[in-house]
Amino acid sequence: MNESVILMFPIVLPVLFGGAILCVPRIRSRSALLCAAGAGLILTALSVLAVLLGNADTYTLFYLTKSLPVYFRLDGIGRLFAAVMALVWLLGGVYSFSYMKHEKEEKRYFGFYLIVYGIILALAFSGNIITFYLFYELMTLFSVPLVLHKGTREAVMAGLKYLLYSLCGAYLVLFGIYFLFRFSNTLSFTWGGVLNQELIGGREPFLLFTAFLMILGFGVKAGMFPLHSWLATAHPEAPGPASAVLSGIIVKCGVLGVIRTVYYLFGAEFLRGSWVQTVWIALTLFTVFMGSMLAYREKLLKKRLAYSTVSQISYILFGLSVLDGTAMTGALLHVICHAFVKCALFLCAGAIICKTGRTRVDELKGIGKEMPVMMWCFTLCSLALIGIPPTGGFVSKWYLAVGALKSAVPVFSWLGPVVLLVSALLTAGYLLPIVSDAFFPGAEYESGSFEKKEADPYMLLPIVILTALAVAMGVLSAQIVPFLQTAAG
Amino acid sequence: MQPVMMFVAVLLPVLAGVLAMLIPFSKRKYLEIFLEGMSLLDSVLVYSLLTHRPTEAFAIVRFTGDLTLSFRIDGMGMVFGALAAALWPLAMLYAFEYMRKEKHQKLFFLFYMATYGVTLGIAFAEDLVTMYFFYELLTLVTVPLVMHTLTREAILASRKYLYYSLGGAAFGFLGMIFIIVYGISPDFVLGGSLDLAAVGNRTDLLLLIYVLAFFGFGVKAAVCPFNSWLPDAGVAPTPVTALLHAVAVVKAGAFAIIRLTYYCFGTEFLRGTWAQTVVMTVTIVTIVYGCSRAVKETHIKRRLAYSTISNLSYILFGVTIMTPAGLVGALSHMIFHAVMKICSFFCAGAVIHQSGRNYVYELDGLGRRMPKVFGIFTVSAMALTGVPGLCGFISKWNLAKAAVESDNPLAFAGVGALLVSALLTAIYMFTIVLRAFFPVGEPDPEAAQDICDPNWYMLLPLFLFVLAIVGFGLYSAPIVEFFTKISQGLF
Amino acid sequence: MDFVCNIPFISILLSLFSGTICSVLPGRAAKWVNTAVIVSVGIMSAILLVYVNGTQESFVYMMGHFPAPWGNEIRAGVLEAGMALFFCMIMLLCMWGGRKKLDEEVEESKHNLYYILVNLILSSLLALIYTNDLFTAYVFVEINTIAACGLIMIRQIGRTLEAAVRYMIMSLVGSGLLLIGICMLYDLTGHLLMSNIQEAVAQILEEGTYTVPLVITMALMVTGLAIKSALFPFHAWLPDAYGYSTISSAAILSSLVSKGYIFLLIKIIYRVFGFSVFHDSHIINVLFVFGLAAMIFGSLSAIKESDIRRMIAFSSVAQIGYIYMGIGLGTKVGMIASIYHIIGHAAGKALLFIAVIGLTDASGFSRSFFDLDGAAYRNKIAGIGFTVGALSMVGVPMFAGFVSKLLFAQAAVNNVGKLMPTMIVLAVSTILNAIYFMKTVIRIYTPAENTEFAVIPLKREKLYGVAVVLFVILNITLGMLSQPVVDMIRSGLEMFA
Repeated sequence: MNESVILMFPIVLPVLFGGAILCVPRIRSRSALLCAAGAGLILTALSVLAVLLGNADTYTLFYLTKSLPVYFRLDGIGRLFAAVMALVWLLGGVYSFSYMKHEKEEKRYFGFYLIVYGIILALAFSGNIITFYLFYELMTLFSVPLVLHKGTREAVMAGLKYLLYSLCGAYLVLFGIYFLFRFSNTLSFTWGGVLNQELIGGREPFLLFTAFLMILGFGVKAGMFPLHSWLATAHPEAPGPASAVLSGIIVKCGVLGVIRTVYYLFGAEFLRGSWVQTVWIALTLFTVFMGSMLAYREKLLKKRLAYSTVSQISYILFGLSVLDGTAMTGALLHVICHAFVKCALFLCAGAIICKTGRTRVDELKGIGKEMPVMMWCFTLCSLALIGIPPTGGFVSKWYLAVGALKSAVPVFSWLGPVVLLVSALLTAGYLLPIVSDAFFPGAEYESGSFEKKEADPYMLLPIVILTALAVAMGVLSAQIVPFLQTAAG
Repeated sequence: MQPVMMFVAVLLPVLAGVLAMLIPFSKRKYLEIFLEGMSLLDSVLVYSLLTHRPTEAFAIVRFTGDLTLSFRIDGMGMVFGALAAALWPLAMLYAFEYMRKEKHQKLFFLFYMATYGVTLGIAFAEDLVTMYFFYELLTLVTVPLVMHTLTREAILASRKYLYYSLGGAAFGFLGMIFIIVYGISPDFVLGGSLDLAAVGNRTDLLLLIYVLAFFGFGVKAAVCPFNSWLPDAGVAPTPVTALLHAVAVVKAGAFAIIRLTYYCFGTEFLRGTWAQTVVMTVTIVTIVYGCSRAVKETHIKRRLAYSTISNLSYILFGVTIMTPAGLVGALSHMIFHAVMKICSFFCAGAVIHQSGRNYVYELDGLGRRMPKVFGIFTVSAMALTGVPGLCGFISKWNLAKAAVESDNPLAFAGVGALLVSALLTAIYMFTIVLRAFFPVGEPDPEAAQDICDPNWYMLLPLFLFVLAIVGFGLYSAPIVEFFTKISQGLF
Repeated sequence: MDFVCNIPFISILLSLFSGTICSVLPGRAAKWVNTAVIVSVGIMSAILLVYVNGTQESFVYMMGHFPAPWGNEIRAGVLEAGMALFFCMIMLLCMWGGRKKLDEEVEESKHNLYYILVNLILSSLLALIYTNDLFTAYVFVEINTIAACGLIMIRQIGRTLEAAVRYMIMSLVGSGLLLIGICMLYDLTGHLLMSNIQEAVAQILEEGTYTVPLVITMALMVTGLAIKSALFPFHAWLPDAYGYSTISSAAILSSLVSKGYIFLLIKIIYRVFGFSVFHDSHIINVLFVFGLAAMIFGSLSAIKESDIRRMIAFSSVAQIGYIYMGIGLGTKVGMIASIYHIIGHAAGKALLFIAVIGLTDASGFSRSFFDLDGAAYRNKIAGIGFTVGALSMVGVPMFAGFVSKLLFAQAAVNNVGKLMPTMIVLAVSTILNAIYFMKTVIRIYTPAENTEFAVIPLKREKLYGVAVVLFVILNITLGMLSQPVVDMIRSGLEMFA
C-alpha cells in the first residue's frame, strides 16, 4: 500500500455510487437519488482534485496474466485529461439534475452516468495499453445505456450503432495491441515509444500497418473518417447532458488513445515521414472539411453540432498527426477548449429542447428573446469554436497552424492551415446564422409574442461556467501553454 | 491413488444412473439427493485423482494385438477431467429444476450420468484407441438425450447428430489406424508418437490422413462444413444443450483434435506443411461463419449454438498454430469458453423455463422481470465478446499471442478473424441484452407479470459460473501457468 | 490317434443321420432331436478345439482304409474346430429365436421337414469346414444348396417360391462353375485331395507349362463360390431369399450358409493353390474391386429400401463385400480380418434378423420401415437387440463390427497400393451403414402417434428373449475380448499353410 493508491479513489468512488444507485432498491425517491448522485459526483471531483494536487505516481492494481498488469500512472497528459473530464462531467451531472426531470428511468441514467465517470477517469490514469483498452471497452459498454436512454426505436438503434462502431474500433486497436506486444518490451506508456528494434527485425512495414489500424481504431471514437457516422446518429438521440458529455468527453477518449498510441507506444520518430502519417493527415483534413460541410447542410440543431464535433475533433487529430511539438500543444489546447465549448453548446441545445421542444434550426428564430442568458452563452461559445480572438479557440487554432507550418511535412504543412481556415469559415457559416436569427427574428415575429422561458439555475449554471472557461482559456492561455508544452514533450 | 480408481471414476456415474433407474424412489427429492450425491462423490473422486495422480496406467481389457483399453492421467487429461468434474454436479442441480415438468426423467438422468462417465473416459484415455472407444460411446449415450422430447424435430435432430458423429468418427478411425501402424506406440506422447523412420517418404500420405482425421474428429467440434448438427441438436432440453453441446461433447471433439495434433502426429511433423494451412484455413472460416450465422438467428438457443461453433474453432485455431503457445491458448479457451457458454446457455434455459419464450424478439423487457438471470447473461455476453477483466479476454489474448508469435501469415489473418468474430459476437449477444433491459417503447406493465427469477437450483450454478468468469478473468496466472507447463510436457 | 480325432467325422455323420431320423418323427420330437444334435455337435467341437489348441497342429483323418492320394480325408485344425463351434452356436440361437415364428408361418405337417433341412445344412457346413477333398466339398456344396432352397420355400407364399427358384438358378450356376473348375483341376493335376493338388500345382508352376489353364481354373472356382456367397454383382437372388423366408431360415442363410462358401474359398486358396500363388494372380485384385463395390452399392441399395427385412438383406451384400475386400488385400492380416468378419458378421446379422422379426411382429406384421414407429417400446428386448446389432454393423467400439473394421484397416495400411481405396471406402461405407441402421434405430425409438399395436411382453416369448440376450452377449464379447478369437484365427491359418 503506497500513497499512489489515491489514484484509485476517483475510479472506484463513482463506480461504487453508480452501482449503489442501480442496485439498491432503497433509493426510490427523487431527492434520495439526487443526493446520492450529487454526492458521488462531488466526491469524485474532489478526489480528482486531490490526485492532481498530490504526488501520486504509479499503482499496479493486479495482474491479468503474468505479463499484463492493470497498471495506473499519472503523467502530464493524464493530468490534463483528468482535469478536463472531471470538470465537464461534474457540470454535465449538475445539469442533468434538472434536465432529467423530464425523462423516465432517472435512476438508471444516473447510475450509468456515475459508472462511466469512474471509467473515463481510469482511462486518463491508465499506465499501459492493456489497462487503457480494458477501460476503453468498459466505457463503450456502460455508455450505451446513456445513448439509448429514451428507449424509442430510433434511440435503441442509435445505441446499437454506437456500440458496434465503437467495438469495431476497439477491435482494430486490439489487433494492433496483439502485434505490438510481439515487437516491444513492454506495453507501458513511455514517451518515445516502446518498440524493440531487435524484435522488429525488418518488419517495419507490417508494424506501420498495425499502427495505422490502431490509429484508425481509436479514430472511430474520435469520429475520424471513415468511421464517423455513429456520432451524427447517437448525439441527437441521447438526452441533452448525455450528448454533451458524449461529444465533450467521450470522443476525447479516442483522442487520448491516439496520443497514447502514437507518442507513447510507437513513438513519433517511428511514424514520421511514413505513409501512415501521410494517410492519417489526409484523413484528418478530409474529416475537418467534410464535418463542417455536413454541419453546414444540417437542419437539426443537435445533429449540426454533432457534425461540428466530427470536424473539430479532427482539428485535434490533425495537430497530432503532423508530429510536431507546437502542433501538439495546439491539439491539447483544442482538447480543452472544444470540451468546454461543445459541451456548453450541447447543453444549450438540450435546454432548448427541454424548455421549448424545438429541435430544428429554423424553429429557433427569436429564441434569444426567450432565453437570453443561455443564448448569450451560445453566442460566446460559437465565437470560441470559430476561433475569434481572444477566445480559447483562437489560441488553439493558432498553435495548430503554426505547428503545421513549422513541420516539414510536404504539401500538408501549408494545405493543413488552409483547410483549417476554410473550415473555420464554414463553422461561422453554420453557427452564426443561428445566433443572428435567435436575436433578430425578423419582422414577421412579434416581439411581444415571446415569453420568458429561461432555463432553471441547475441548467444555466453549468452552461455559464463552461462558457466562461472557454472564453477565459484564451485570456489565460499564457499560463496553460507552458504546462501543455511540457506534456507535449 | 490406486490406478484402478480411474476406472472406478469412469464407471461410478454409469452405475449410479442405472441404480437410479432401478431403485423405486418414493419421492423425487430422494432421487435428486441420490443423483446429486453420486455426481458430487464422483467429482470428489476425480479431484483427488488429479491431485494424487496414479503414476501407472490402468489397463481394462486388451482388444487385439497390443491395443488395450487403458487409462492414464496426463496434463491434458487433467484439464478435461477437471472441467467435466467441476461442471457436472452443477449442471445436475440445474437439470433437476429444469426437468421437473418433463417425462421419462429417470431415463434422462440415466444417460445424463452415463455421459459423465464416458466423458471422464475420454479425458483419462491413455491412447488413441481408448479415446476413440469412449468417443464413440459418447455419441451413443448422448443420442437419447437429444431425442428426449421425442418430438419430430428432436428425432430428426438426433438422427442428424448420429449420422454426423458416426460419419466423423469413421474418418477419425483412419487417423487412429495410421497412428497404430506408423506410431512407436498408440499411447499419447507430447510431441507425437510417429515413428519417422517408418514413415519414410510417405509424408504426404500421412498429412492427408491427418487432415481427414482432423475433419473426422472436427465433426464433433463442429468445424465448417460439418456443423449443421449442432444448432439442430439444440432441441434437446437445455441442460443437455448447455453441458453437452456447449461443453462435454463438442469439447471432446476439440480434445480429440488436440490429442491427434500434439500427442499423436506431433507438431514437429505438421508445422509448416500444407496440412497445417488447410486445417487452419478451415478454422478461420468457421470462426467467421459461425458468428455470422449466429447474428442471423433469432432463436436464442440456436444463436448460442452458432456461437459455440465459432468459439470451438477458436480452440481449434489455437491448436492449428501448432506451437506450445498455441496449445496454451487452445486450452485456456477450452476451459473458459466452457464456463462462459454453459453460463449463457443456462441463462437462456432459465428464460425458456420461466417464460416459455424461445425467440430473441420475445425478450423485450424481460430484464426487469428476471434481473438476476439477465444480469448474469450480460456478464457472460461481455466475457464472450472478450471484454478485458473477464475470462474470455484472457483466452483470446493467449490465442492471439500465440498466433502473432508463430510468424505464420495465415495465423495473422486468424487474429483478424478473431476480432471480426468478436465484433459479431458483440452484435448477437448484446442485442439480446439490449432487448431485455431496454425494451423499445413503453413496456406494458401488465405483460409478463408472473415471470420471475428461477429458484436456487438454477441460480446457484449461474452464480458460481459468473464467479468463475470474473475470477478467471481477473486472476488467471496460476491456471495459465499450469497450461504452459502442460504445453512444455512438464505434466 | 486320440479318440478326439473322430469328432469331425462323428459330427458330420451325426447331423446327417439325425436328418434322416427326423423324417419319421413328428414335429415336436424332431425339434428336440435337432436341438440335441446342434448342442452335442457344438460341445464336441469345443472339445476338439481345446484338443487342437493343445497340440497346436492340425490332423488328418482318413476315411476308410485308403491313404492319400486315393482315399477321402478330413482335416481339422484350430480354425476348423473354432468355426464348427461358432456355427453351432449361431445356428442354435437362430433356431431358438425363430422358433415361435416358425410355428406360426410353417404348416404343422412340415415342421419335421424343416428340421431335416436344418440338420442337413449343419452337416454340409461341417463337411465344408472339415473336408480335405475337393469332390466331397462339391457334393456338400450341392447338399447345402438344396437344403437352403428348402429352407427358403418352406414358408409357402408366392415370393418365397420365386426367391427359391432364383436362388436355385444362381446357386446352380455357381456350383456348375465350381464343378468345371474342379474337373479342370483334376485334369491338370490328377488329384482331388487338397494337399496333393497343392504339390501338383507347385510343380506346374515350376515347370511353367499349364499356367493359363491354372489361372482359368482358379477364376472359375472363385467365381462359382462368389456367386454362391452373393458377392456383388451376383446378389440379385439375395434380398428376396432373405427377405421373405421364415426368420430362422433367413438368419441361418445370411450368417452361416454364405459364410460356409467363403470359408471353403479361403480353404481352397490356402490348401489347394497356396496363398502365394493366389496372391500373385490378378484374381485377387478383381475380388478386391468387387468387394469395394459391394460395400458401397450394397449399402446404397439398403438406404433406398423401405422394407426392413430386405434392407438388412442388402446390408449383408455390403458386409460380404467387406470379407472379399479383406481377402483381396492379399495379406495375412487381411485374411485374419476377413475370417473375423465372417464370425462378427454372422453374430451381428443373425441378431438383426432375429430382432427385426420381433419388431415387425409388434407393428402388425408390417415390414414397411415406416410402420416401425415405437416398435422398440412395444417389444423391448427386440429393440435392444436390433440396436446392438446395428451398432455392431456400423462398427461402433464395444461391438464385434468394430474389431473387424479395425483389423481391415490395419491390414490395408500394410498394402500400399490398395491403401487409399480401402480407407476411403471403409470410411464411406461406415457412414452409409450409419445412415440406414441409425435411421432405423431412431425410428423404432420414436414413439408412434395413436398406435393400435399391442405391447408384446417379454414373458410371452422367453426363448426368443434368451436368444436375443445371448446374441447380444456374443456380440459384446466378440467386441471386447477379441484377442482369443484373433489368436485362434491366426494359428488356424498357420496350420492351413
